[in-house]
Amino acid sequence: MFELFARNRVASLFAITILTFGIIGAAAPGFLSGNTIAVVMANSLVLMLISFGTMLVIITRNIDVSSGSVLGLSAAVLGLALNAGISLPLAIGLCVLVGAAAGALNGALVAGLGVPSIVATLGTLGLYRGLMLTLTGGRWIEALPQSIKSLASNLGWGGSVLTIIVLLVFAGLWFFLRRTRSGGYFFAVGDNREAARHLGIPARWIEFSAFVGAGACAALAGVVFAAQIGFIPNQAGNGIELKAIAANVLGGVSLLGGVGSAVGVFISVIFLTAIDSALVFLRIPAFWNDFIAGAILLSVLMLDGRIRLALDKRIRAKRYAIGHGGQNAKPASKEKAAESLHVSSEATR
Amino acid sequence: MASDDAHTLIQVRDVWKRYGPVSVLKGVSICLRAGQIHALLGGNGAGKSTLMKVIAGLVSPNDGTVVIGGERLERPSAAKAQRLGLYLVPQEAHIFGNQTVLENICMGLAKSPSQLRSRVIELIKQLSVSLDLDAQAATLEIADRQIVEILRGLVRQARVLILDEPTSALTPHEVEALFARMRALAAKGVGIFFISHKLREIREICHDISVLRDGAIVLSGALGDYGDDQIVTAMTRAGTGASPAASTAVNAAKGEARLVIDNLSGEGFRSVSLSLSGGEIAGLAGVVGAGRTELAETVFGLRRAHGGSISLDGKVLDKRAPARCVDAGLVYLPEDRQQYGLFLDAPLYWNASSYLMHKLPFMLSPKREREAFSRFRDAMDIKCESAEQPARRLSGGNQQKVLLAKCLAAKPKVLILDEPTRGVDVAARNDIYALVRTLAAEGVAILLISSDFDEIVHLSDRILVMAFGELEGTLPAGSSVDAIGKLAFGAREHAHV
Repeated sequence: MFELFARNRVASLFAITILTFGIIGAAAPGFLSGNTIAVVMANSLVLMLISFGTMLVIITRNIDVSSGSVLGLSAAVLGLALNAGISLPLAIGLCVLVGAAAGALNGALVAGLGVPSIVATLGTLGLYRGLMLTLTGGRWIEALPQSIKSLASNLGWGGSVLTIIVLLVFAGLWFFLRRTRSGGYFFAVGDNREAARHLGIPARWIEFSAFVGAGACAALAGVVFAAQIGFIPNQAGNGIELKAIAANVLGGVSLLGGVGSAVGVFISVIFLTAIDSALVFLRIPAFWNDFIAGAILLSVLMLDGRIRLALDKRIRAKRYAIGHGGQNAKPASKEKAAESLHVSSEATR
Repeated sequence: MASDDAHTLIQVRDVWKRYGPVSVLKGVSICLRAGQIHALLGGNGAGKSTLMKVIAGLVSPNDGTVVIGGERLERPSAAKAQRLGLYLVPQEAHIFGNQTVLENICMGLAKSPSQLRSRVIELIKQLSVSLDLDAQAATLEIADRQIVEILRGLVRQARVLILDEPTSALTPHEVEALFARMRALAAKGVGIFFISHKLREIREICHDISVLRDGAIVLSGALGDYGDDQIVTAMTRAGTGASPAASTAVNAAKGEARLVIDNLSGEGFRSVSLSLSGGEIAGLAGVVGAGRTELAETVFGLRRAHGGSISLDGKVLDKRAPARCVDAGLVYLPEDRQQYGLFLDAPLYWNASSYLMHKLPFMLSPKREREAFSRFRDAMDIKCESAEQPARRLSGGNQQKVLLAKCLAAKPKVLILDEPTRGVDVAARNDIYALVRTLAAEGVAILLISSDFDEIVHLSDRILVMAFGELEGTLPAGSSVDAIGKLAFGAREHAHV
């Protein structure tokens, strides 16, 4: 059991999520209902898309803190286009294109010019927000046409067209990362860039694509945002990039690159959103939200960190098992090694 | 560009490579034919690895041409070189730690790991090694990582293989199996560049030989045309040939025991007992992964010991931590200077005084530190622009000298040197050897860790050999490299039976 949860971040996160739902359900009857699940799902869509995009970038061992501004910029383009009378599909296409272009600039800076990703995207974080404000003249974009708002309407089973889009992105990402060769390259580049280069993997191109993907995801998040809210304020998406990074870390995406899965991010975003919704149910004043979300995030990560340390210690002990072996250890005796492993894991528990 | 000969796989013409003011390759031309196993020899820093990286498209040359299979590499890239059927098995394995061994081997190939699994298993059998394909690669030992790299080369069915010291971490048995594979490949028309320090291996497997020295080819032709002496002379002519026997026989251990390690066990080694006297250079030989660095790091307090004791000048050193060891006069020069030794972006004078940082007064005095550095600079002939220069911009040899200066600034009584000449050019290497001898003459006890057995024989008054985490034996000064090798590899061979 310990092994399974220690090795498999997704499994442990899933268990924690279920447990949390159970506890909140016991404390606030009525929480566990189809309606809650639908609300949580709908509330998580924007963060979900941003987190998926950020995941691509983090897996390649970079970081993207500009995604909130990309969301704002592309949503503004969408709103302006719609209000100028451009048809919905065309406007959405334009919006995604703008997001991808914004991501491409990030990617060009990082992969092309070798600017550290934190620096590059901190710069474009301001750049894109400024561009958005210039486009909108600092005014909110209101009175969006009904066509876009209807995307968010319930289809009868608790989900909307937007839910379907996000689920498709989720499935597509999962398939791409786990089942395709190019998806494997993302992990390879993040794990050991030199090694990837050595094997002829186009490392720069992969990094660039990750940023473009992140930009496109952020633009889709902008579409969802516009459809759900019905207007586009200046600060649309402000600060969501940090939430997305937190969701990634919680979902088992290593900031050191090379590790992560779409499933983990999916569950972690649901978990974080569920906590927000639960606080409403528990009648805790809304200004506690961030505090409690932060505290939970910290405790989960610290617990996970402890488990990881214990695991590392095991691996280390295994590698140096001969050091424990006693006199007859020359042919690294498996039993002895196993024994010493148990000792060390007991000690750390 | 037409090749001279239909069988020519690789044609390198007049390749130059400069890093800053230093020319690493000075107009090298070399060619490789189908079915040829071509040995490439040269001392550390002679330019072998750089040349091979140029051929593999990992480093672009400043000048000259590389033609692979009749096609000129205009803008070199590893992807292109591999498409043309070339794979470089590097000296230090590139591993994706988060992926399985099988995924590591198959990364970058068109077929999926599961499709290639049976091929890989077959190759593993042919190499007669054992490897768990589903283990996480981060848990692999260095020798197994090397095997992963070799398997990468074999599974790719390359037309040209470059093997950069592939045998350094293999047992003699595994080396035999590898050679059998290489012969079979050559018979099928694969061309192989084989980089090695071991003449015996080269004689066994290679047809042709080229010797690099200081970035230029100084000898090239059919292996049979040259005797061992000719080859060795070609390799080392620049190194003013103080014959090893003459220099080492001078001082046998004369001082009293300074550092005494008693029955010390720790991560990667166990029950090691040894003592070092003042004025003695004790060589600690062994293959990579034998536990030598772990021993040194444990003595220096970087790792926790599982048992045993260490005393310096009769006083027991317990609760070891680097700062306490430095205070007591025990100083360690780490193996990986880029990662653990130098502050790469800090000025040189700052690097030189960094071991004493905890003893500096609250108010720093850069002037005094700069003066201290300039003394070392003169004494050790460190080539740099100024004391303010960041360490990153020095050549490997000069970086290593700065690192030595840092150790000496701490006025050591016992100095542990871990691979002090790795990646250092011939001239700087000789300077370092001279310095090590001077230090010993002044009464410092020196433990010299090296995988270069020639270096061990060259410098040591006494040779300790570690293998598989244990001290295998002690050999007198002037022992042969073969004798060391036998001890160093012996234990691993045992373990495989």
